[in-house]
Amino acid sequence: MQRQDLRTWLLLVPAGAWFLCMLILPLIVVFVFAFGERGAAGGYVPAFTFENFANLGARWTAFKNTLILAPLGTLACLLIAYPLAYFLALRASARWRTLLLILVIVPFWTSILIRSYAWIYLLGGQGIPSLLNALGFGNPRLINTPFAVLIGIVYGYLPLMVFPIYVALERLDKRLLEASSDLGSPPWRSFLQVTLPLSMPGVATGSMLVFILLMGEFLIPAMLGGGKVFFIGNALVDLFLQSRNWPFGAAVAVALVVVMLVTVAAYLRFTRRWAGGRDDVSLM
Amino acid sequence: MRIYAFAVYLFLYIPIGVIALFSFNAGRHASQFQGFSVQWYGKALSNPFVVDAFKTSLTVALSSAVLATLFGTTAAMALQSVKGRLRIAFDALIYIAVMVPGIVIGIATLIALVTLFDWLNPVLAAVWPLADGAPKLSLGYGSLIAAHGLFSMALVIIIVRARMAGMDRSLVEASADLGATPWGTFRQVTLPQIFPGILAGFLLAFTFSFDDFIIAFFVAGSQTTLPVYVFSSIRRGVTPEINAIGTMVLAVSLLLLVTAQAILQRGRQAG
Amino acid sequence: MTDRKDFLTREKFMQELWRYKKGSVTRRHFLGVTGLGLASSVLGSAVPGLRSAAYAQGSIGDRVVVASWPNYHDPANFDAFTAETGAAVDLNVFGSNEEMLAKLQAGGSGWDVFVPTNYTITTYVEQDLIEPIDLSKLPNYDAASFDARFADAGTVNGVVYAVPRNWGTTGFVVNTSMLGDLPKPSSWKEFWDMTRAEFSGRTMVHDYQLTTIGNALKYFGYSFNSIDPAELAEAEKLLLDAKPHLFAINSDYQPSMRSTDAWMSIAWTGDGIQLHRDMPEIDYVLGKEGGELWSDFFAIPKGAPHREAAYALLNYLLNPEVNAKEVAFHGYPVADARVNAILPPEMLNDPIMYPAAELLSPLEFGAAVTLTDPNRAELMARFKSA
Repeated sequence: MQRQDLRTWLLLVPAGAWFLCMLILPLIVVFVFAFGERGAAGGYVPAFTFENFANLGARWTAFKNTLILAPLGTLACLLIAYPLAYFLALRASARWRTLLLILVIVPFWTSILIRSYAWIYLLGGQGIPSLLNALGFGNPRLINTPFAVLIGIVYGYLPLMVFPIYVALERLDKRLLEASSDLGSPPWRSFLQVTLPLSMPGVATGSMLVFILLMGEFLIPAMLGGGKVFFIGNALVDLFLQSRNWPFGAAVAVALVVVMLVTVAAYLRFTRRWAGGRDDVSLM
Repeated sequence: MRIYAFAVYLFLYIPIGVIALFSFNAGRHASQFQGFSVQWYGKALSNPFVVDAFKTSLTVALSSAVLATLFGTTAAMALQSVKGRLRIAFDALIYIAVMVPGIVIGIATLIALVTLFDWLNPVLAAVWPLADGAPKLSLGYGSLIAAHGLFSMALVIIIVRARMAGMDRSLVEASADLGATPWGTFRQVTLPQIFPGILAGFLLAFTFSFDDFIIAFFVAGSQTTLPVYVFSSIRRGVTPEINAIGTMVLAVSLLLLVTAQAILQRGRQAG
Repeated sequence: MTDRKDFLTREKFMQELWRYKKGSVTRRHFLGVTGLGLASSVLGSAVPGLRSAAYAQGSIGDRVVVASWPNYHDPANFDAFTAETGAAVDLNVFGSNEEMLAKLQAGGSGWDVFVPTNYTITTYVEQDLIEPIDLSKLPNYDAASFDARFADAGTVNGVVYAVPRNWGTTGFVVNTSMLGDLPKPSSWKEFWDMTRAEFSGRTMVHDYQLTTIGNALKYFGYSFNSIDPAELAEAEKLLLDAKPHLFAINSDYQPSMRSTDAWMSIAWTGDGIQLHRDMPEIDYVLGKEGGELWSDFFAIPKGAPHREAAYALLNYLLNPEVNAKEVAFHGYPVADARVNAILPPEMLNDPIMYPAAELLSPLEFGAAVTLTDPNRAELMARFKSA
């Protein structure tokens, strides 16, 4: 191992200490708790048992919900965000572009809680369903369904998905597209063979960002799912703030982190082929 | 294409329109419009708990952003000249900080700190030399800033490193060759180039902390941040006061961004 | 000028209440004999010594943090308290005792006052999460005028840890205008059957193990507090069967009932009254098989940061005149005879507030074991995540 000089060490120590104390240590505590036992009225009692991991199947539906709706939500977000990012990067006039960009990100700064609450009203009996009813489409149940949660997800994370794709598309050398059409390629072919591949790093970044956040999500399912759509995040909140089974909650947390590690590693390997291989994690 | 974009913007802003609409509701419920009134803005601004929550959010966001930017930048710089296992270790730490979901970090911090305090407080009480009782450690500002700063710091390191990667190294070497001290080189060559990255990191860190609910929900203890206040308001029974808060936050951020954009625009035209 | 002739001894009051609950006497007799039916204004205004202790503005601090239940407090009373003492009331709302316990166990809750239900107090004492009440700081609390049946749970091992706030029942509310040809349900069997049939997608249950599991147990006629694994297994099967038909799992059901998104929900007395008041088609029903009889208390958690403010608020709310205003707002019956003397007769005759004896007798108080039993907690969690 190379010797680092004192200055480098000093510069690294604050960040390193912070990571160790507030990230690694708490995660180790969670790992240790996962082997413990539930206290008499809840909480943690030191012990060593694999029982909590054995019981993980009791939360299988929560895992399933998350593992289905998180990728689905990411995909839906992507499908809606990409054309918008394309429009902003390649079609919008420079005059309007910045304003339009601002208009995309500003909703993101309004609390997700308040925005989700607006959806409770819109999807509830007095909102869109009553509109559909008036138009003769019957009175569909929209709130407290996986569909409502999906809408909430797309709505909440759309700005986060738009930006990386926009950045990637904006860096695109327009001359490549000109060359492509000069060579006789129809627009859709230019898109598929030039634009799309070159925007992949942005797509990868945005998707991973949204996916990671979705795996830990609990607010949107709680508000728009009415307690009926349970994500792993909801299971965790319940285990620590209601059923008070800390060891089991710790085991679920460990399981979640493992699932994240596996999926994100697979994802990175997959997208590395598109992004051209970089040796550090880049989210920008 | 333009129609599509318009539709998406509509989708983005209809719920916000609903929020803004009901913030002017004269009635008590946020779901039945009963006349126009600005009373809820007055109530929100004069509600001591709203003001408190806002101040807490602001303090935590500023502190954690400043600390994260400071330590993150220094770490990013140091990591330039670090190789081997230390480098891999740091890369792993950053990767973990970003990849572990916020809820796990919140819970982990909660149980780690609670366990620590349960153990530490009696010890402190036993050994405290002064007569007026030992300080009782508990969740609050400290835990909030520490937990928020963690994720923010990882973000800053990533951004600044990316910025540094695109930097022109020859300038740094030239500066050193011409006899400048390392600090001088940093101040006059490196810093101006990475400054946009530092600024971006700071802004992102601030935004993340100000808007964060999940981590604050677990580690805030007796302090209330604005998102946590909104959450408990929703449980308390939604009055248009929440709509007023949301609309105000939206209006202020919109104003800030548009102003910043206008200033930058003018700067670009003048310069 | 205190005319206390029609003010009963506690023993006689208890005796009459038991006779009433057993069905030996009519409700009218009960109300007449205990003086609850007499809204004698003479009595009402003539009880001496009941003033809020005068607190100078600012002397108790600038805030008091309260953890309580949905739709439980009149904001006007809090405003008046703030105007009088300068302390603003920070109200945090929870949907179950388990959530309150979890927050207190995690420490640093910052609460000054919280509202536990009768069955939780022994656990709080065991876990050392609660402080004994210094009754000398509550001059408005007169133990003798409270019905012991609803006040006793606050005293553990001879020490008073909690003072009674109000009592109530757990039944269900149903929007009768949505019934069509169906008879109005009167039992938990009908509740759970209708949930899965005619009212599919329109029923709510509490996010609260005691009431949701308890009332599922009632479907089979088991005890509300059962921790027997076989009985719990049957209840779990019923719950899982009903889950796809539920509108939501939420202890705050008023908004959904008001917007008619939900037509039926497990409910508490006061919400029943509040809903019925504004929407007369919504009725409150006590299941024939039984259900819960409960008593809520005021308590002070250990390490409350604003203790003086906590006592000031409690003393203020226990003032019979203020308490009567609270009752008029939230509709939950109070076990304080002084308050009931002030309330108007229509309220005291309200069958939701004071149910008939034959409906009251099968009700059970919650048992402490349900709070600590890991099986019940895990059952509820499994039901929610299914």
